[in-house]
Parts: sequence; C-alpha cells; structure tokens
Amino acid sequence: MDEFTEFRRDAAEGLRQPLEDGRVVVARAVGSVEFPARFTLVAAANPCPCGFHGDPARRCTCPDHRIEGYRSKLSGPLLDRVDIRLDVPRLTKRELLGETAGEASAAVRERVELARARQRERYAGTGFHCNAQLPGPVARREAHIATSAEALLADAVDRHGLSGRGFDRVLKVARTIADLAGRETIEPDHVVEALAYRATEPGARSAGAA
Amino acid sequence: MNSRTRAGWPDAFARSREDLEAAMVLSALLGSTPRTLLELAGELGTASAVLAEIREGRAGSRADTEFARILDPGTIAGAAAACGARLAPWGSSDYPEQLRHVPDPPAILYVIGRPPPERTGAVAVVGARSCTDLGGELAREIGRALGSAGVTVVSGAARGIDAAAHEGALDGGGTTLAVLGCGIDVVYPKRGRALLDRIRERGTLVSEHAPGTPPVPRNFPARNRIVAGLCAATVVVEGAGGSGSMITADHAMEFGRDVYAVPGPVTSPLSEVPLQLIRDGATMIRGPEDLLEDLGLEPGQTPLPGLGGLAPDERRALERLTAPTLPDRLASELGAAVPETVSLLMRLELRGLVRAVGGRYEPTLAGARAASG
Repeated sequence: MDEFTEFRRDAAEGLRQPLEDGRVVVARAVGSVEFPARFTLVAAANPCPCGFHGDPARRCTCPDHRIEGYRSKLSGPLLDRVDIRLDVPRLTKRELLGETAGEASAAVRERVELARARQRERYAGTGFHCNAQLPGPVARREAHIATSAEALLADAVDRHGLSGRGFDRVLKVARTIADLAGRETIEPDHVVEALAYRATEPGARSAGAA
Repeated sequence: MNSRTRAGWPDAFARSREDLEAAMVLSALLGSTPRTLLELAGELGTASAVLAEIREGRAGSRADTEFARILDPGTIAGAAAACGARLAPWGSSDYPEQLRHVPDPPAILYVIGRPPPERTGAVAVVGARSCTDLGGELAREIGRALGSAGVTVVSGAARGIDAAAHEGALDGGGTTLAVLGCGIDVVYPKRGRALLDRIRERGTLVSEHAPGTPPVPRNFPARNRIVAGLCAATVVVEGAGGSGSMITADHAMEFGRDVYAVPGPVTSPLSEVPLQLIRDGATMIRGPEDLLEDLGLEPGQTPLPGLGGLAPDERRALERLTAPTLPDRLASELGAAVPETVSLLMRLELRGLVRAVGGRYEPTLAGARAASG
C-alpha cells in the first residue's frame, strides 16, 4: 500500500484485526461471515506532507501541526502490528552509483527457503508452519532464546516501553533472523537486530523538545 | 538610521506612579513598535503624555487607541502580581544596566525569578526551531558548559536550539534566562510548558509585554534585541536564511558584542546563518570547549558521561562513520554482513554513541569523541 497515510483512517485501521489473527469478520444484520486473511503487508509513506522531513540536503517546509496531523493518521496500535519499520532515505548520487551489486535474489531465495524449512520442521504437527503465524504463548514456548538475549528483550520492555504485543512480535522477528542465520538458538545479536527494525517510530527521533 | 535615538527613554518616562501605570498600559499595545513609542517619548517626556496622545487618537493604530482607552493599569498590575512578576521599568535599579545602552531598549520589563545577570555573566545561545539532532545536542552541551561555568544562558524559549540550550544550562546545575515574545504568563509554545516551569523555578523569565499579551508573530523578532542586549556574547548553533538567529546575531554585532557560530555542512540549509556569520567575522567554535576557552572560562564540575570501553568492532564502525551513512554501505566498508552491522549500530545507538537520522546513521558528539579519543 503506497502512500499509506493517504488512505482513510478507518480503512487503515481495518487492517488491525487481520494483521493480528489472519482473518476478517464481516458482520451484517443477517449474521456474520468469517474469511481467511493471511497476507504480508508492505506499506510506504512519506515522513511529512512535503516529503523532506529529515532530509539532510532539503528543507522540510511543513508546519509542525501538519506533520503531526499527517503522522497521526497511522495509529499507535496499527504501527505496533508492523514488525519491520524502516526509514528509507533519498539516496545521494554517490550512494546510487557507487554501490557494489547487492546479493543475488537467487541466493536470498535459497536462504529464505532453508529458514522456512526449519520452521516447518520445528512446528510440524502444531498446525502452524512459520514464525509469523504463532500466537504469543506458542512463540514464547518455541523460541529457544539464549538467557542473555531474553534479558536484553526484557530490558527493551522496561526501557523503551515495548508493549506485550511488541514483545511477541520482536521475539518472532528475532526467531526468523536466527532461522535465516541457520541458528537453533536466538542470540543477543538477533534480538538487537529485531529491535533495530522496530526503532523507527515516525517522529520518535526527530528533534525539538519544546 | 541617523534619526534613531541612542539616548533611550527620558529619565522621567516611568518614574512617577502615574507614569509607571501608563507605561504598563503602553506595554499591552500591539500596534505600536518600541521605536515609535520611543520617538513619541523623546518629544513628550513621560509615559502618561504618550498614553494620552494615543488615547486621543493622535498616535498609534486605531486598535491601540481603542484598547488604550478601556485598559485599566490595575488589571495589568493584578495579572503581574498573580503570576509573580516584578516590574523593572526604565530608570529603576532593577532595570538591567546593559540594556540602557542598546538602541530601542524596552521601556519596562516584567521579570519572574532571579534578577537578570550582569552583562559579563550572560551568554545568548540561539538557533533554529527545526534543528537537527546534532544541533540540539551541541546547543545542550554548550548550555551545560556555560551553566556549570557559572554563566547564565540566555535564549528565547522557542523549541529546538533555544530549548536545548536552556535545558542544558539547567541540567548542568546552572541558571538560564528566557526572553519571551508574549506576556510573561502566556505559555508559548504550548509544548514548552514544562521548560517554562523549570526556568521560572530555577532561572529567570523576562518580557517587555504586559501579562496576557498573545504570541503575535511580529513581536518575536523584536525580543531578539533584548536577548542580544542582555549578553556579552551571542552563540548561533543552526539557523536558516532569514531566520531569527540572524536577527539576534545582527543585533549583537550592532551592539558591539561578540558573536560565535558553530559551522555545519555547506549543503545544509541550517548552516546558512552560522556560515554567513563566520564569513562576516564571527568567531568559529567547534563546541563548548572552544567557547569556554575564548570566553576565558574554566570548565565547571560536570564531567562528560563516561563511555566505558569500545569493542574493536565498535571502534572500527565509529571511525568509519564520519558522515550520515546507510547501514548497508557501512557494512560493505567494514567487510561485514548487513545483519551484524545493523546489530552493531543498534548497540552503539543504545549507548548513545550513534543516532539514526532518516535511515542513515551518524555519530553523536559522544560517539565522535570516543572514535577520536
């Protein structure tokens, strides 16, 4: 969903339930119908209406209240259900041209398939086949997380106000990172990487206290 | 420019009780600039005479005339007393000496908190409202260094650089003074309430406007002359072209006070004012150490927070991060995988050594120090 902030708020909020439990319930006067709705949400939005907030070379011309209004279209509870949030900056010419070629998609695909195979094996007989599908308690039981990594995650709850849902989601992302690295146990680095992908709250890092 | 009086207000302008009350009413008018009032005062001598002129419609805007007719000085005095503000009119011993000699001085100041410092004990730190994280960090450190060295940090209580400088001074155990562009009892910006409360408690609030005066944009450039006029020196951290920081620095130069500027990248719009000032002869400073040295001040007793050791991979990453860098670019420079590099950056971020800015990472001041130390 490109220009995610331009969608009507109730439409965007409507994604909360399927993002959480993979189903949509449509209720009408005559009864309600449930549909399966497992999907991967990929969404993009500008940092502010003019698009230049945080850009080192261009000046954002948006008044504060407009930036706030723009960002408030994405509610906290909705963003809490997004596992990976990244700032994607405008690249400089040097960054565009000077980059060595990225990893080949075929190699990535192989790694993803191996990680998926590990997950299917781990969850055989449970009715789940990948990390994302696990309800919180199952995810916590199956995590195989190192004690030091667990302490780090607990610390994030205390220090960064990670919600209960956020905790489970970071845990599942960390589990996936460990699976991609071919590791049975979630190590501290996997948790840190998962936390890094969540650290981007729109506006959380922008300056200006008063 | 030649017609501009340098003599300030007539000695008797607000001396009698009646004139002081008239000066309070004049401080509530929005349609008359300090300069036009000053010119009237030069002709007429007292605040009462100037007020009479405005009430009769011979001077000031029509709105001023109508407002001045109905405004009761008792209301203003009551509002001042209610918020704990004292009056420091021109000619009184409470009026800051260093403002007597600047062009267009305020006729009256409302003051809450500590008495304003002498000129030699005050340094202004000003800059952009929409500052960068690095700019805010620098302003905070400069405020902290000045505060802990016993200097009052003067600014305008706006968000961004102003707020960071005030907070730094208070965090360093020092004191700070905010010059407001609205009534002294008006909370502006709204989000700045906590800061204003802290300043009221441990520092000084100053305004030339009557309590209750709303934050009208035209009053904000004028308060910069008070910021510059109170201080021996003015420091500009970041500022876009045509902004208030340029006005403050111009006033400081005009008043013969020292001007310091922290440079930034030539490509950044927020470097416009500091770089222009440096070209115009302001002293370039790289941070609080340079400033303290130039001002001949000893650093106070607040050492910088300790870092603990750096692991070899952390040191290598910090040394590479000389400019905002994409994580994948840093990874390829380090010859490391992207996931490990993201973890490494996150660990450094949690320790306050790097920060993420719109998807790139850059060192904080502490991180830059750690890399070079």
